[in-house]
Amino acid sequence: MILGRLTFGLLAVAVLSGLALAPFWSAARPLESLEALNGATPWGFFLRAVHALSSWGFLAGTLAHLVEVLARRSERKLPPGVWWRSVLLLPVAVLALLGGFLMRGDAEAQAALAVAREIAATVPILGRGLGALLLGGPGGDLAAVALHHAGTFTLLAWLLTAEHGRALAPDLRSTVLAALGSFAAAGVVPVALGPAVAPDGALLLGPWYLLGLQGMLLHLPAAAGWLLPLSLLLALGATRHLEGRARSALLAFAAAWAAAFLAFTLRLLLAAR
Amino acid sequence: MYRARVLVAFLLLALAGLLAALGRERQRAASLGRGPDRAGGKAERCVTCHVRPEEDPGGAHARAAVGCSSCHLGNPLAFDKARAHAGMEPEPGALRTVARTCGRAGCHPREAGRVASSLMARASGIVSVDRFAFGEIPEPRGTASITDVLAKGERTPEEDHLARLCAGCHLHALRGNRDDAIHGNGSGCSACHVARKLPGAVPRPHPPVDARVTDDRCLGCHSRSGRIALTYEGLYEVERSQAGACGAGGEAATLHDGRPACRAEADVHRLAGLACVDCHLHTDLMGDGRAYEHAEEQVEITCEACHGPVREGGETTWGGARDPVTTALLHSRGETRPPAERVRLGRRGTPLWNLRPTATGWVTFRKGQGVALATKQTPADANHLLRGHERLACSACHAAWAPTCDSCHTRFEPAGTQWDFAKAAEAKGRWVESSDGYAAREPALAVRADGRIAPAVPGMAMELDATAAGGARLSRNLWSSYDPHSTGKKARTCASCHAAPRATGPGTRVGQRSLDAKELARVAAVGPCLSCHAKASDRVWRDFAASRERLARGGSTCTFRGRGGPGSSVL
Repeated sequence: MILGRLTFGLLAVAVLSGLALAPFWSAARPLESLEALNGATPWGFFLRAVHALSSWGFLAGTLAHLVEVLARRSERKLPPGVWWRSVLLLPVAVLALLGGFLMRGDAEAQAALAVAREIAATVPILGRGLGALLLGGPGGDLAAVALHHAGTFTLLAWLLTAEHGRALAPDLRSTVLAALGSFAAAGVVPVALGPAVAPDGALLLGPWYLLGLQGMLLHLPAAAGWLLPLSLLLALGATRHLEGRARSALLAFAAAWAAAFLAFTLRLLLAAR
Repeated sequence: MYRARVLVAFLLLALAGLLAALGRERQRAASLGRGPDRAGGKAERCVTCHVRPEEDPGGAHARAAVGCSSCHLGNPLAFDKARAHAGMEPEPGALRTVARTCGRAGCHPREAGRVASSLMARASGIVSVDRFAFGEIPEPRGTASITDVLAKGERTPEEDHLARLCAGCHLHALRGNRDDAIHGNGSGCSACHVARKLPGAVPRPHPPVDARVTDDRCLGCHSRSGRIALTYEGLYEVERSQAGACGAGGEAATLHDGRPACRAEADVHRLAGLACVDCHLHTDLMGDGRAYEHAEEQVEITCEACHGPVREGGETTWGGARDPVTTALLHSRGETRPPAERVRLGRRGTPLWNLRPTATGWVTFRKGQGVALATKQTPADANHLLRGHERLACSACHAAWAPTCDSCHTRFEPAGTQWDFAKAAEAKGRWVESSDGYAAREPALAVRADGRIAPAVPGMAMELDATAAGGARLSRNLWSSYDPHSTGKKARTCASCHAAPRATGPGTRVGQRSLDAKELARVAAVGPCLSCHAKASDRVWRDFAASRERLARGGSTCTFRGRGGPGSSVL
């Protein structure tokens, strides 16, 4: 499947561009360092855009590949364990990307960090510890977030992708195409930072891939922030074990979930305008 | 073949992307400022571009010390102009964002918090007196602010009157909203603390910002209504029809905003070089956090605080004075006060830090230049200990003159347009004021709400026709007791009070009144005696009642037998 290979290539581009970006970012002064990268470093904005767009491409590719697999009913080609771990790649990719969003340190990132802490705190027993482990303590810098963004989740994403694709690294052709595609997009799609301080009365938006969840959380308790995604993952994972109507029902649930997610995304975007 | 075509397509796309990025890179490099990118020990990229000396306010707010974003907000971390200017406050000090600008932690949070509740921000006295004059409330009191009025959708005739004629003079009035009162300085803190651009001065992007508030900044608002800033300068406004006819010794003048005026005697403090802020305390101007209804409640300074006799508790030592704002102010000026040094206090205990005791007596230091002026203490002589004058405020005798307008006609005309401060634009309809002319003369006297007798002038003595605005037709003859700020070293003559007409009609404050019949009779009784007994030291004034009794018994050599004299029934 070319889409799967290209997605792995995009992950490789994201990792390589992320390594190039690392020296420019400061955990203590995240926004200041990124403003300097964007404004005062030759081609800094381009490098950051390549990283962001290849990462978004990786997430989009993962989603698209998942839909492709489900549409072709090819999930049974994978052993159950590999399938479940492949499904797990989706939240891992989202968490890796969310870490990158939080590392911006702007008003939107700060708001998203506060929301993430609140959601984490609702996880029974583990909540507070989990939040501190993944997001660092309140008032601290973003070192913990950066560690999991560049380390934990990226490594997990790589391992899960490699296991799924049965290759330790993407093939050269896919990587080159992913890089060229990322360069093309980075030249024309500016990847802006958010405002330094929240404007009075303005609605701050989270990352585009979580806008639907943000929209739902305006009406639901914070625990929905992890319960709703968990329900989707369980439904997707279970398709491997079911057939006929049961499988169709699970897919219908996933489709409804996605439709609601898209609807809330649109609603939030309209509200923000 | 298919693989090659895909690769070429991706190569071409990447090339296009790189070319687009190259354009943006060139733009980025070209727009990059060459100045430093730090100020005050933090990243402040505004100064990479804003490097011109005239963009530096200097002083305590120097660009190198606080940067730009401390006051102007925006994004000090950005190099890109659009991002740097996003969220900027073009009018630092404006009360809408003052908590994040002047009032931010580490700067002036205490003062900024108080200013919002001060009368210069709320103008609640103007609101309540105007409502009272229009007959909308039974008493001239209330804490409704001018911003409450401006925020209303449906307005009463009085609120419309306020929104068009009065709402330019308060600290919420933004620059650009017909800002002739604030001289375009900006609203909030800037209205007073930003140096005014004088006519003809070289345009300067950033004027100085400091605590040395010069009188020209007070003039914008206080040259209207009571017009105390004009009186202090020795000016009184006249109608255009009166221009050029200033009377004997009166020189014609033109005010900063083009209004015709005449010259009169300036306040003795002004002649000595004292600015408004040399007398007025920080609590008088910025408030103390409480929402007062009228100016005389907020103002702490009194004549006696400087000139004595000092009220009980009106003097202490610096060791016993507790006012963190004054302490911070002295600290910022690099000054200290020994704990044992005596200090005079305002009515609510705020220290008069620029009034200091010396071996030769009290001296007042001008806050701007630090020049010392001997501050004469009220002598315990016959003039000041005259029996029967115990209730007189200092200004009752020492206010040399006051601007007066006896006949004001106010009407609403639906035709035409007028600036509406609520809409910040010209709006249909207009309030028109006309008078038979202004005059500068010795003020009448009335009884203030605190029971003391003080100068009073016609305050909203008018024929009001608000019928075209849905209101009433009213005839008002309100008097206002106030200190006109025309203090003379020499007191007015006794005859000017004891043989002159008095204020009549209701006052513009609850409890304020004109002299009652008994008081008027007592005042009038003195008049006939003044032709012979002009000096306060004359023995007849030591106990005027006993003198009259002696006269009645025939034990006097007084020969006056005119109306109201010793032989009349008035006595």
